[in-house]
Amino acid sequence: MVKRQRPSNRYVILTLTALMTGLFFFVLPFVAQAGVFNAQKFTLKNGLEVVVIPNHRAPVVTHMLWYRVGAADELPGLSGMAHYFEHLMFKGTKKLEPGEFSRTVKKLGGNDNAFTGQDYTAYFQSISVEHLGRMMKMEADRMQNLNPPEADFISEKKVVLEERRQRTENDPRGLFTEQMRSSLFVNHPYAIPTIGWMDEIKTYEWEDVKSFYETWYAPNNAVLIVSGDITAKELKPLAQKTYGKIKAKKLPERMRPKVASAIGETKMTLEHKAIHQPYFQRLYLAPASSKFKEDALALYVLEEIVSGGPTARLYKNLVVEQKKAVSVGMSYSGDSLDYGTIWFSATPATGVSVENLEHLVDQEIVKVIKDGVTEDEVKDAIQRLQDQAIYARDSLAGPAMIFGHALTTGSTIDDIENWPEDIARVTAEQVQEVTQKYLSPYNPWIRPPVTGYVFPLDGEEEKKK
Amino acid sequence: MRRYIFLLIFCLVIIPVSSVAKEADKVLDIQEVTSPGGLTAWFVQDQTLPIISLKFSFKGAGAVNDGQEKQGLARMLSNTLDEGAGDLTSQEFQKSLSDHSITLSFGSGRDHFGGSVKTLSRNKDKAFELLKLALNEPRFDPEPVERMRQANLKRIKSNMGNPDWIVARLFNDIIYEDHLYALNSGGTLTTLAAITADDLRQYKKDWLTKDRLLIAVTGDITKDELGRMLDDVFGSLPESGKKNNVTQIDVQNQGKVFTYNKDIPQTILEMALPSFPLDDPDYPALKILNYIYGGGGFGSRLMEEAREKRGLTYGIYSAPLHQEYMDAVVISTSTKNETAEEILDVVRTEIQNINAEGVTKEELQDAKSYLVGSLPLSLSSTEKISSIMLSLQLRERSIDYLNQYKERLHKVTLRDIGRVAKRILDIEKMVVLAVGKPEGFESSQEIKELPNVE
Repeated sequence: MVKRQRPSNRYVILTLTALMTGLFFFVLPFVAQAGVFNAQKFTLKNGLEVVVIPNHRAPVVTHMLWYRVGAADELPGLSGMAHYFEHLMFKGTKKLEPGEFSRTVKKLGGNDNAFTGQDYTAYFQSISVEHLGRMMKMEADRMQNLNPPEADFISEKKVVLEERRQRTENDPRGLFTEQMRSSLFVNHPYAIPTIGWMDEIKTYEWEDVKSFYETWYAPNNAVLIVSGDITAKELKPLAQKTYGKIKAKKLPERMRPKVASAIGETKMTLEHKAIHQPYFQRLYLAPASSKFKEDALALYVLEEIVSGGPTARLYKNLVVEQKKAVSVGMSYSGDSLDYGTIWFSATPATGVSVENLEHLVDQEIVKVIKDGVTEDEVKDAIQRLQDQAIYARDSLAGPAMIFGHALTTGSTIDDIENWPEDIARVTAEQVQEVTQKYLSPYNPWIRPPVTGYVFPLDGEEEKKK
Repeated sequence: MRRYIFLLIFCLVIIPVSSVAKEADKVLDIQEVTSPGGLTAWFVQDQTLPIISLKFSFKGAGAVNDGQEKQGLARMLSNTLDEGAGDLTSQEFQKSLSDHSITLSFGSGRDHFGGSVKTLSRNKDKAFELLKLALNEPRFDPEPVERMRQANLKRIKSNMGNPDWIVARLFNDIIYEDHLYALNSGGTLTTLAAITADDLRQYKKDWLTKDRLLIAVTGDITKDELGRMLDDVFGSLPESGKKNNVTQIDVQNQGKVFTYNKDIPQTILEMALPSFPLDDPDYPALKILNYIYGGGGFGSRLMEEAREKRGLTYGIYSAPLHQEYMDAVVISTSTKNETAEEILDVVRTEIQNINAEGVTKEELQDAKSYLVGSLPLSLSSTEKISSIMLSLQLRERSIDYLNQYKERLHKVTLRDIGRVAKRILDIEKMVVLAVGKPEGFESSQEIKELPNVE
């Protein structure tokens, strides 16, 4: 899950979230020539990786710096530190006043923002290409010279607490989803929400912050991505003049324990007065695409067949034909370093119990395990996924987002560029195999899923239906 | 500033090289295309990607025409137009969209009813054929109509626990009060149940007419192809239909403070001030004033005071709201219940500060730099370009409006800002809604029920 700070308005958050969770797997390139985006790459002597995605439609660029550190790298007791630190990065350096970074970007006609995930922290500006050099200079400055005044350090904690209230605490459904993730990732840091726990955010000390910065913020722990009206040849001297002057650091190993295996299925129930419509959702542990690439590709095809719109299996069978649900969906997300997830969620039709609907969703999965999917379903799904890669190019920041995600979660430039060819390899047998491997009710991968049921407080009646 | 590459291509092919430099001053080169049958569209040709985006709107055909008894009718129409048309059942229609990677959707706002098609150019004939069917021969079969009704009913029930949705519902009821705008464009549990296929047919016939139609197209298509497509897709729609029967109003309940008690840790605040319409000569100055006051995010008066200095909130924004029958400036934020009163005080104090001291020369300059400089960022995809062109038409702007955008903003002076501040920034007129358990709001009017939901 991605938490971002500094939205320019409430609605931008939604757009960007959709972009980030949705676009990565659609990243497919479609042009057979060199790759979808024809990205160029070089590495500076200090270890900074640089990716350039030329797009000369307009004289603008998106400049993004991704660090290979996220919420899953925090020390025990300091949950949310990576995200809180991201906020502090706007609070001034030896050269810039607090807030001056964003004000400068705005004055130059640009937009800036940042966001934190479990595996990465990223900063970006979209701006006229003539100001790119200045952006790089400022971004390089805060990689090494961050210096927030004490008053800002304290007031920003309050801001993050308000952010957590707004995103999660105001709606019991947000808290419940957070709790489901926590229950799935036993023994693994993905169990802790990116934004952190309320009580721990309050306890950060300046020493904790300083040590986090000194440990992780270094050129050899970052990826620079620039998309827009620029080439690698033009960018390289700029990169050398700015980021190139910063010394590499010796980086610690990222400690990532494994999710503990388990045999009992976890079932959770929420009954709450703010809930008026019952539903259920289920969360499976799934493979990270960087570790199990072929499985991940097949899971994306499965997702398209099962949940890719109103003619896909789940909606067609349960909503249109059987009238047991009003909405139902499945989504696979594999763009993480250690593990991915598969979510199912469904809202029952009037007169149908949540348990009954859950059983019917299970039946749809069992059907795939038993009978497989058809060659036609696979062929159509592949075509749609390839087409989505073409649409993915119709954006300035989107492609940079795709590369940033991939390169900070263990995937490579080739994985992105060759997506259309890679996805075309997926067969009906593979789709059946991955369904059996990751979604089997009898023989779960590592551990059984977590299922959550949500009811109105006085929902006894609804449940019995 | 360099011009767009598609502009370059266009210039090189069609006009002599000598005029290229002059063309380079343009932000966006919009052409007006008139079909053989007399329909017009605004068009930007862009062949960098094999993609076409078509957006259109029936001006004034939105939910404001639903009526009390059929709230949600326009929305239901937008949900069902693409659920089967001509010989194609709902599933066949959707399968054809999906098989060709076409995105086709309809949507209804309070004022207008619109639609959007995005397709790869290799599938354009299929995309336009499906759009034509949806607009001219929708079936409104019982199965999809009932399915969409159920989806809307469940959407409302799900939202009844969503604080942001509750705020929006209440706020509409307060600022529009007895006006048609105050009705629930998403429908109520009662009115949705009463909507029939005949209602949908009649609404389409009455409102989706050629005299209201505005079209914007961007991407990989030629002028000739576009002209033929316009006639084919839209040519058979009725020439005209019903006339709107809506009155112009001002923000209602000015000067009042309302609360709605909800057991959540934050108070969500929504405020409105009366404003003036888009064709007012002070519009550019209002845009700048809003940016300085609360529209600009970081650097704006509200954000600096409430978030950066005091840590009261994750976000606080102001935005002009221009509709066909009402104009306002809206301010929104959220903060923990204990500091609800404090943040409302910030909102008021910053208004008083601007009224007393005006804004600085630097603030004015920075606002102009941002608003002018960021314009190309809003033109960075095929769909964004179509959206802007459609919005310009809905706002009755001229086709070269964007090319004069810079000049218009640059003309605004500190004196203009002062005048607009006097016209708009008046705390006596501000209406406030607080949802949560706000402290310090004892003298406010408490709202007990959510109107137009059940």
